[in-house]
Amino acid sequence: MKETITIALSKGRLLDEALELLREAGVEVADSNLNSRKLVVADTKKRFQFFMVKPIDVPTYVEYGVADAGIAGRDVLAESNADVHQPLDLKIGFCKMVVAAPRETARQDYKELSAVRIATKYPRITTEYFTHRGIPVEIIPLSGSVELAPLLGLSDRIVDLVSSGRTLAENGLEVVEPIMDVSARLVVNRASYQIKRLAITRLVEMLSKAVEKR
Amino acid sequence: MKTLTQIPLGAQLLFGKAAKRRRQIERSIFSVFDRWDYDEIIPPIFDYYDVFAKGMGAAFEDTLYRFIDREGNILALRPEFTSLVAKSVATRLADHTKPLRLCYCGEVLRYEAPRGGRQREFFQIGLEHIGGEHIRSDAEVIRIAIECLRKLGIRKFQINLGEMGYFAGIVERMNVPHDDLARIKTRVDLKDTVGLRLELDRLDLSEKRRNILLSLVHLTGNADTLRTARQLVTNERSLQALDRLEALFIELKKHKVEDHLTIDLSEVRGQDYYTGTIFKIYVPGLGFEIGGGGRYDNLFRNFGCDFPSVGFSFSLERLMAMGES
Repeated sequence: MKETITIALSKGRLLDEALELLREAGVEVADSNLNSRKLVVADTKKRFQFFMVKPIDVPTYVEYGVADAGIAGRDVLAESNADVHQPLDLKIGFCKMVVAAPRETARQDYKELSAVRIATKYPRITTEYFTHRGIPVEIIPLSGSVELAPLLGLSDRIVDLVSSGRTLAENGLEVVEPIMDVSARLVVNRASYQIKRLAITRLVEMLSKAVEKR
Repeated sequence: MKTLTQIPLGAQLLFGKAAKRRRQIERSIFSVFDRWDYDEIIPPIFDYYDVFAKGMGAAFEDTLYRFIDREGNILALRPEFTSLVAKSVATRLADHTKPLRLCYCGEVLRYEAPRGGRQREFFQIGLEHIGGEHIRSDAEVIRIAIECLRKLGIRKFQINLGEMGYFAGIVERMNVPHDDLARIKTRVDLKDTVGLRLELDRLDLSEKRRNILLSLVHLTGNADTLRTARQLVTNERSLQALDRLEALFIELKKHKVEDHLTIDLSEVRGQDYYTGTIFKIYVPGLGFEIGGGGRYDNLFRNFGCDFPSVGFSFSLERLMAMGES
């Protein structure tokens, strides 16, 4: 019984790391395939099909079952609030989600601000983080170059991902506090988990072995 | 006026082929219910808020459409049928011979983002088997669900069986605060071992209890899963839950439907009122369950009776989505 599993991958930062981990797990996607303009590509053994979408969309594709599984960062999982199984930490794509502010005001207490104005790509996570602490917050949703917002006076602070911290430093920002550690997860559609149980279990095992071996 | 030309988000309108198809599905399913001797009950579309809030639990309170009548009572539009059927039985049919077999079909309303083929107003068709304690009652409703699927021409489907008592038995003596327990439940349900570990780290639990909860996430598969599950626990409640689940599996096996069954003890999500067997039905090509149900032995106590019961419902929207694909 051969079942194909469709996997959604995040374009960008995470893609190379994800493909490398898959390779170590014995799932190879030919370069010629990756570089082609095909939207859906298969691995060399034709057990899996892959398609690449924007990171924030991966959880949605998986929740709706268009993809049986996906590889997505914890940040987008929390932001999308998608109802998917999350059986494995792939230990790739490490970074941190933080609150950051211009150096001059980074040590300022929240009490001194009547409502904090925060620019972010993660409105849901940000709202939850601040309201749970009883801090009034005004969210400025942006879709990129978030570091610019405090520089130009659009916001007091930002909530964003940092890995090395270089971008922050270059823009005169520093970390106020961490919100969560982020790494990539394997996510699986609820129905696929049951309907294609054997194939999914195998995928989880292959990947978890590859993760352990590192 | 925009209110005259626009529709509120989540409202639903069916016509033409879709309306026809929906009625066909309803008729097919009702013909199966009828064959099993289930009588239709048509409950009101609203009742007192407490009727629903008590049954569904805190997690669902936010999804209720609430309003206040002229006497100041808080009312709500029905978000599901089970609580309503239970109340109707408790108030009007309590003396009726048990088990009482009732079925229903109609719209329910929940204030949540339209998702997975479901608007804020959506349709459920299902049944309640009231006052049947024996595992044969659980088997009966699952067999009826299977017969409905076959009647609709659906040959490939998977029924995921769980038991609420297993998880309840494990956490019962841990003295975990209610909020933490809810978070643990969510992580188990998402099979998120990483998140679960983080939650458990914050609590002062013995190594053994930690490991049981972490293993629980992987307790999914065929009948062998029951054996693994048994080795993990010593508490009476969890063991009884496994006995019941095993008996149910054997009972269903007699009817040769075991190929459609998977066991999943990490299946812990659902309405608050579920106490025993819990199941969800999946079909290939649809990312969401098309139906599900379970045993609710304590719900009737809210209404002053004690009738152990079991029931299930299908989502008509999702059954219709299958016809399209």
